[in-house]
Amino acid sequence: MLHKYYSLILVLLLAVFITACQEEEYSLPTAESGLQNDCIKRTLGPNMVGMNIEFAYAMALLPSEGKIVSAQVEATIAGATGTYLENKSYYTNSSGQDVGIAIGDASVTTGTKTVVTFTKDTCAATLRYYYRIPEEARGKSVDFIFSAKASNGQTVSYEMGSYNIAKMDMKLDLLAKDGAACYISITDMAVYDAAGAAANAAKIDLVYLHRLISGITFSHALVSPANTEYLPGITLPSGVSNSSKEIKAWNLRDQQLARLQYGIFIDDVDFQQIDFTNAPNYAINMKAESGLWVETTDGKYRAYIFVNKVDDTKKEMTLSIKRLQVK
Amino acid sequence: MKKYFIIPTVIIISILSWVGCTDFPIDEDGLLITTRAQCYVSNFELLGVDYQTVRTASAVIDTTAQTINVNVFYGTDLKNLWPQFSLVTDAKLDPKITSFTDFSDLANPKQWTVISGNRKVRKTYTVFVTVQQKP
Repeated sequence: MLHKYYSLILVLLLAVFITACQEEEYSLPTAESGLQNDCIKRTLGPNMVGMNIEFAYAMALLPSEGKIVSAQVEATIAGATGTYLENKSYYTNSSGQDVGIAIGDASVTTGTKTVVTFTKDTCAATLRYYYRIPEEARGKSVDFIFSAKASNGQTVSYEMGSYNIAKMDMKLDLLAKDGAACYISITDMAVYDAAGAAANAAKIDLVYLHRLISGITFSHALVSPANTEYLPGITLPSGVSNSSKEIKAWNLRDQQLARLQYGIFIDDVDFQQIDFTNAPNYAINMKAESGLWVETTDGKYRAYIFVNKVDDTKKEMTLSIKRLQVK
Repeated sequence: MKKYFIIPTVIIISILSWVGCTDFPIDEDGLLITTRAQCYVSNFELLGVDYQTVRTASAVIDTTAQTINVNVFYGTDLKNLWPQFSLVTDAKLDPKITSFTDFSDLANPKQWTVISGNRKVRKTYTVFVTVQQKP
């Protein structure tokens, strides 16, 4: 009885080995008939007002079946000025550079639709679409329908989305300088000098300073105006007295703020979830590529400040801000 | 023929059961209770909210006096610090550290108890934090 089972198992194993060793011959894929299309989203991370969402839309049909006459993108919310569909199809050359070849006229945007009319006799193209996110899309979601038309009358379309548009704002590369433009407003996402700070006293949330004090590590600091202990040698402009809450962060190099290789993105939800209970109102010894979560005195705004660069000699800090209104 | 399979199977199961029954017991945290009676802190770290150290130098651990003295940078936010203890093998800490700890009341230093691997020796360590002073 046992021998019977062993024989059966051996036969099965043999069959498995034979199947595993059998080579599959490669054959060139056959192009499908008719107009085909495909699309990918090229941008990553949260979609923010004023920024682009980029797509690559590919369309093709067999040369014998005709040529492409037009490509169109329709968004559910009209894009802001700067929205366009490329009239060039790109290929990558031997040096790794993308080289564009014009296939038609510059795109025409009318309302929610952006159209490129082909002028070249081509049966395949990949066009890039840049959707500049408008203010009216803030906090909403947007969908896209990509479509192409061929000379033989065939049409094809491809739906992309929905994509949520973040509520937060972003400001890049603000320069703060000790003793000059050193008053930072989260409300305005701007840096003011003393005169500007006096004129916008209620909006000043942080003061930037750089100090070298022997025996302690102070260096670059972002301190609430209310905490004068950490503002040595600073005479605040009249009325500047906010006490914002601050939480230091390290290794949180948001890709959109830092523009470095790290795939980290801060989104609306991060601002909503962070807990500022017991947070101090100062942050000293800030280094390049460090960060700072901030909540304004009135709790209206929460922000993440990324320190792009510090300069000990010039006593400067380059910072970028993402900010969300939470109240 | 069957007995060649049944007998070894019974023997293997018996061995496994016996080995399983003679293993170390586990405590309420699911940790092994071993025979080790050593009970001390071998290293101590203190992290800020950015998970970077706030120590100006290595913590001084006195295993006889059961104290840990640590000096932190000027400007350290004492309300939000995460202590990390390295303990002797098999020992555990009570209470457990699950979040940031408030060290701001310097007059009442925080205490943690180290419990030995055999769970019979308990030593309470006091953590004294001092802040680097501005000259």
